[in-house]
Amino acid sequence: MAGIRSASSLLLENASLRLQLAEAQDTLSAIRNGEVDALVVEGSSGPRVYTLQGVEAETSRFRGKMLEQVSDAVIALDDAGRIVYLNAAAERLYNFSASAILGHKQAALYETRWLLPADEPAAAGVLRETGAWRGELIHVRRDGREMYVDLGVTILRETADRPAGQLLVVRDVTERRRRDDQILVSEIRYRRLFETAHDGVLLLDPRTRKIIDANPFMTRILDYPHDKLIGKELFQIGLLADEAASQAMFRKLKKNKQVRYDNLPLVTQTGRLQDVEVVANLYEENGRLIIQCNIRDITERRRSEEHVNLLMAEINHRAKNLLAVVQAVAHQTAYHGDPATFVTRLSDRIGSLAAGQDLLVRNQWQGVDVRDLVESQLAHFKDLIGSRVFLGHKPAQLSAPAAQGIGMALHELATNSAKYGALSNGYGYVTIDWTPGTGTEPEFSISWKEAGGPAVAMPARKGFGQVVIGRMAAAAVQGVADIAFHPAGVTWTLTAPAGNALMPADGFGR
Amino acid sequence: MTRNPPTDTPDAATAPLFLSARYILRLYVTGTTPRSSRAIANIRMICETHLEGRYDLEVIDIAQHPALARGEQIIAAPTLIKTAPLPLRRFIGDMSQTERLLAGLDLHIAAESFPPGIGC
Repeated sequence: MAGIRSASSLLLENASLRLQLAEAQDTLSAIRNGEVDALVVEGSSGPRVYTLQGVEAETSRFRGKMLEQVSDAVIALDDAGRIVYLNAAAERLYNFSASAILGHKQAALYETRWLLPADEPAAAGVLRETGAWRGELIHVRRDGREMYVDLGVTILRETADRPAGQLLVVRDVTERRRRDDQILVSEIRYRRLFETAHDGVLLLDPRTRKIIDANPFMTRILDYPHDKLIGKELFQIGLLADEAASQAMFRKLKKNKQVRYDNLPLVTQTGRLQDVEVVANLYEENGRLIIQCNIRDITERRRSEEHVNLLMAEINHRAKNLLAVVQAVAHQTAYHGDPATFVTRLSDRIGSLAAGQDLLVRNQWQGVDVRDLVESQLAHFKDLIGSRVFLGHKPAQLSAPAAQGIGMALHELATNSAKYGALSNGYGYVTIDWTPGTGTEPEFSISWKEAGGPAVAMPARKGFGQVVIGRMAAAAVQGVADIAFHPAGVTWTLTAPAGNALMPADGFGR
Repeated sequence: MTRNPPTDTPDAATAPLFLSARYILRLYVTGTTPRSSRAIANIRMICETHLEGRYDLEVIDIAQHPALARGEQIIAAPTLIKTAPLPLRRFIGDMSQTERLLAGLDLHIAAESFPPGIGC
C-alpha cells in the first residue's frame, strides 16, 4: 500500500541516518579537536577553502604556491621515505600526477643509479654530517627513461635532533650532460691534434702579444721547453727579428685577420738556423680574440726543392746532350748509307739510344749495369742468349755517357752480325765479356768476339757503324776502341780507365 | 541441505567482502601542511598493509583545485572518502587513528595485528 513503508525499509533508512549522524558528529568532533587544516564553504562562485591554522598554515600554503612555480622538481619525503609533496615540475619530470604518487615510497617514482659505486656511501656520509648533499646521478623513470639529474637533498627536521624527512630538489641535466660530453669528446680530439701535430702551434693573446699555449712540436722546433715559451713574445723566441717586426705583424693581423710568411729564418735557442713557414690567424674564441700561429719546419721541403732544381738542370743538360747525339747520328746515317734505308737505320739507332735511356731512367740516372745494357741492346736475340750469345757476369755500373756510347756500339755490332757475321747463319756465336777495373788493374774493358759465321773480309769502305763502334765509343769513355776483321769473325774491344766508364761514388755520371 | 565443513580460510563464495573487494578511496588534503602530509602517509601505509593490489587511492589537493571539493560535498580537510565498496564512508583528520579507520573501512577483523599509524 502506497505511502506506508515496510518495517525493513524503515530499519535501513534508520541505519543510514544513524551513519550520517555519526559522520556529522565525527566531523564536528574533528573540527573541535583541531584535527582538520581547512574548511570548505560553498559560495556563489563555488567552494572556497578556509585554512584554520592561522599564519603558519597560510605561510605554508603560500610557500606551496611558490614551489608550484619553480622550474626545478621539488619533492618532500616524510621520515619513512614516503612522498608527501611534489610540485608541478616534479609531476612533469617523472610523468606522474601528484594524486597517484603521494604517499608512495620514493622508489615508486624513480630508480637511482650512481655514476660511480663510491658516490653513494660518500653522499650518505655528507648528508649525515652536514644535513645536505648535492651531486649528479641518474634517475630512471618508471617508464624506463634515464635522466642525468642534479640532485640536492636537505634533511628536514622537526626539532634539532629529530628528522622529519627530506626535501629533494631535482634538475634534469641530461641535455647539458650530452653537450658537456660532446664538448669533452671535441676537446680530447682537438687536444690530441694539438699535442701530436707535426707542425708547431702557438696561441697568443692579441692584447699582450704573448704566448699563452704551445704544442709539444713547437718546443722541438725551437729547442725551448714549454714553460719557457709561455709568456714570451714572438721576437723573444727568435721567430721575428725584433719588437718592431712583431708589432708590424700584429698590425697586419688586425687588418687582414691572417698573416703568412713563406720562409722565415728562425734561430733556435741553441743557435741552430732553421727555415720555417708561419701562418698566423686571428679569430674569436668564445667572445675573446686569439691568435693561432702555425709554424712549419720547411727545412726538408727546401732541401727537396733544391734537389728538384738540381734534377731539372741535370735533365736539361742530358736532354741537350742526347739531342746533340741524335743530331750527329742522323747526320752520319744520312751521309754514309743508302738513302732508301735511311729511315730504317735511323729509327734503329734512335731505338738503341732509347733503350739505353730507358735503363738510365729506370735506375734514376744512378748508372746502368753492363749486363742489363747488353741484354737491352740484344733484345732481338734474347732467345739465343745462352746458346749462341754468351754474356759475362761481372757486375759493373756504367756511367750515363758510357752507357750511351757502349749501348750504340753494341747495337751496331749486333746489326752487323745479323746481316753479315756470326748471327747471320744458323750456328755462329758471339761472346760478350767485360772486366770492371779493380784496385790493382784500374781499367775497364768490354769485348765482342764472333766465331762460326761466314768468312769475314775487310769492308771495302768505312760506314757510320764503324764510326759508332770506333771513334764514338772510344770518345764516350775516353778510351781506346779496337776493331779486328779476322776471317773467323769480327772482334771488338773497348778499354778505358775505370773512372771514365763506371759510375763515380757520388752517383751522378755526366 | 548439506553444510560446508568449517575452515579457517574462507573460499571466494563465503569470504567476507573486505577480503576480496576493490577499494576506491579519495583523500582530500590542503597543500603541504604537516597534517595533510601525515594523512597521505598514514592512509597509504594502511592501504599497502591491508589492501595491497586491490585499492585505488587518489590524493586531491583542494588548496590547488577547490572546485574538486564540490562533487563529494567536502566540508573539511583532510577528508578520506571510500566510494567502493558500498556504503560510502567518510573520515576526517590525519588518519592516525588506525583502529577507528580500519573499523570504518570494514577491515576491523585484522585490526589487532595492525601496526600503529605513523606521524601521530
